[in-house]
Amino acid sequence: MPNFDTGHYFLTALVPIRDGMTTDAGGVEVTFIQNLRATLAVLPTALQSPATEMIGINSPFARDRSTHFARLVVLDDVIFNGREKSDPILGRIEGKDPITPEPLDELNCAYLVFTADFDAVLAEGDPLPKTLDLPAQNRARDAWANRIWEKMQEELTDVFSNCEGFDEVSDGDDFARYLKRHQVETTMPFNDYWLTMPKFSDLPLLPILGAVAVPLVLALVALATLLLGGDELPWLGWSAAGSVWVGGILTVILAIAAVRWINTNGQKPLPPGQYADLPGVLKSLYLQKTFTTFAIDQQGASYEELHDAFGAFLDEHKPLDASGPTQAPGVISIGRPGGIVAGEG
Amino acid sequence: MTRTLPLHDIQGNVVRAYGRYHYPFARYFFLHIEDAAAGRRFVNLVRDRVTSGATWTGDKLAVTFNIGFTFLGLYALSLPTRTLQGMPEEFIDGMKSRAHILGDRDPTKRASETTDWDAKWDPVWRDNRDGDGKNNVHIWISMNALAKPFTDQPDDALDAQTRWLVEQCDMLDQKVRILSTNGPGGTDLYQSANAVFETLPDGRKIPTRKEHFGFTDGIGDPAFEGQYPPEQMTSKVIGRGKLMSAEEGWQPIATGEFVLGHPDESQELTPSSTPANFMANGSFMVYRKLHENLGSFTAVIEEEAERFARVMDVPLDEARETLMAKIVGRWSDGVPLSTHPTFAEWQEFRATLADDDPLVAAEKRNAYLTSPAARDFRYADDMRGFKCPGGAHLRRVNTRDYLDPLNDLDSQNPDATTQLNKRRRILRRGLPYGPTELGVGDDTTEQGVIFMVICASIFRQFEFVQQQWIQYGLDFNLGNNTCPLLGDHTHHTRHSIPSDPKSGRPPYVIDKLKTFVETRGGDYFFIPSLTALRMIGMGVVDPT
Repeated sequence: MPNFDTGHYFLTALVPIRDGMTTDAGGVEVTFIQNLRATLAVLPTALQSPATEMIGINSPFARDRSTHFARLVVLDDVIFNGREKSDPILGRIEGKDPITPEPLDELNCAYLVFTADFDAVLAEGDPLPKTLDLPAQNRARDAWANRIWEKMQEELTDVFSNCEGFDEVSDGDDFARYLKRHQVETTMPFNDYWLTMPKFSDLPLLPILGAVAVPLVLALVALATLLLGGDELPWLGWSAAGSVWVGGILTVILAIAAVRWINTNGQKPLPPGQYADLPGVLKSLYLQKTFTTFAIDQQGASYEELHDAFGAFLDEHKPLDASGPTQAPGVISIGRPGGIVAGEG
Repeated sequence: MTRTLPLHDIQGNVVRAYGRYHYPFARYFFLHIEDAAAGRRFVNLVRDRVTSGATWTGDKLAVTFNIGFTFLGLYALSLPTRTLQGMPEEFIDGMKSRAHILGDRDPTKRASETTDWDAKWDPVWRDNRDGDGKNNVHIWISMNALAKPFTDQPDDALDAQTRWLVEQCDMLDQKVRILSTNGPGGTDLYQSANAVFETLPDGRKIPTRKEHFGFTDGIGDPAFEGQYPPEQMTSKVIGRGKLMSAEEGWQPIATGEFVLGHPDESQELTPSSTPANFMANGSFMVYRKLHENLGSFTAVIEEEAERFARVMDVPLDEARETLMAKIVGRWSDGVPLSTHPTFAEWQEFRATLADDDPLVAAEKRNAYLTSPAARDFRYADDMRGFKCPGGAHLRRVNTRDYLDPLNDLDSQNPDATTQLNKRRRILRRGLPYGPTELGVGDDTTEQGVIFMVICASIFRQFEFVQQQWIQYGLDFNLGNNTCPLLGDHTHHTRHSIPSDPKSGRPPYVIDKLKTFVETRGGDYFFIPSLTALRMIGMGVVDPT
């Protein structure tokens, strides 16, 4: 279930781009791929460099307070990586033809890859869940799809109207179903917001190996006994032939069970980090900067001065109020234009 | 058997830092090639003078001679397109185009907002790669000279060789000409450099290792395989090589990190152009004229020292010396913080180097600075930076075992290695420029360091260190903080000095840093082997 990990949802969607032609904003006939690329090229990223600050338009994804990252990229094709490796002498014996090329494998069309990392919550600012069963995961995904539809319908339409089947999307629920249809499993989610190392579900490797090894050894000893002409196991007195069968079958069953168990264990989601939801991350960045400045300014202060100053700091920066004052989403630093959100209180 | 490195084919400035071999004077000339044929003739005329890296026997040369070329220089010499296009992209770009990477141009502003970012550069560098290209820098020539004994004057051979160089250009009808626009006024034939001298009570003068802020420079330069005879290598390598494991100790760094055509630390040849025999035994060099804002530096140290003395309850002179040491990572006389972390320990050790005869004292100091004792330390045993702060200059430019992934804040990790540092080493060359005495001048006067770096890949080695470790602090968990000494402090003005809680003293943060070091020009050069110089001169560079 790696779509869900650390309290976050990691969405990957592969949406086929429409074949054929359309007319772009300038009235020129272009392919849907050309049009999509041009649309993505002017989609604001975030206020993260001097050049994007000059444009002054933040990423539409920054309107949502649960989206950590989003990426849209056109995948034209997957490049054929050469013929299958074969030994020239064996190939000759097998009658392989080295002249005729092997068939080329291609994608059936170009795809829009859409990946996003967002808080797996039903509403912005909800606490991150530790575990989430599949239906609840789907609800978190659909809630997010509805939220971004509400906040950036225009931009999403500009982008996805170049893709297959988007004509049927007319509201947030449609968009959620659309994403679900094109979703593929995320196989390597990643984030790193832990303040201290999380508790990993460690693998009891020795007991697992032991559980598989015991019936295996029994089967092997029984087999050796048979080969040496015996028909009963020494000491135990069990039938050698029977032991080969029972031991062998047990080994296979336990080995399969062990692999499954290891995989299931590996798929257990890791716990969310403390303050790892987007409002928490933004507030942390804000406090990191303001508190550092505070600490430096108080160097050499008396206890009384420090006490008063810290009281003023708490009043001004409200460390426990993630709604604000805090760092604005999609802005590189609170020191840059528009970097601070005042908050509700 | 270890292969012998062909030092006779490698230019001398690659193998040795002349300053440390008692050459306290240098002149750097920059030349422009009008015509490829004249350029090749010029190379032929001068190449017999080139000082190689061969081990010296007998008397030292009175004056050395070395030569390098910018990419545009190689282009002006009509090298084949295939040779030119195989050159590394940063070398093709040149240093000006890399200003945003190096921090020479403010990275928080758009290029269009900072069109005059090089306004303070010397005219020779402002005109380089500018306008019609008539004043592009093509050739770098360096001459290092001995001092007339016990004076701050260079040997006469320096003037003689300068005249000889001018004559060569005259002979070629100025089709190869010296760009005489050096210095802030743009009137100098060459960029001059010289050591800072100490005047003895009897008036005699001896060169020191000081630069104009008063720090001692050039102690931990890397040592690479083949650089020294094996019998010298065992001690030279300590603190200057790579630390592979606790058992193996210090080993020389692979030759290929600094000389092309030899295996490097990834056990490959550093990618370079063709033909192979043109690139082999050559190297790349970064030339930067680094101005030192002496007034700002003194003012900031004074202001911070006053607060530091108050917060830490120490005398003002101790505060001043401690702050300077915590900025650099060595006390002003070169003793490392890592071996002598406190002022008291330093003073105690300093007393052992003292002598009534100032000449003997200078010799003792020098013997110490060239000994392994001045270089043999690690950072994995000081992860919290109680001895040497994590952001100190020394700890940034040569991270030693600081970045070993198994280091832990609370363990000493005796098995830490320099694996994540050995591909980021640079050979430091050059001398200070400005007055021959210490402590005069302000932000506007001419003083600083002619900073030259030799490495096989300017991108992987110099630019990485400059961008990631000097102008940024993430690898050291220091966010955007830049190097307190060399960094750009337009926006980030902090340097943290951790303190062991056991001492009962709080940590201290300097927060009023100004930009102390500013670039005044420079470029990237290829330093060909003597074989490659012959090939250029003969016009036989053939990449097919």
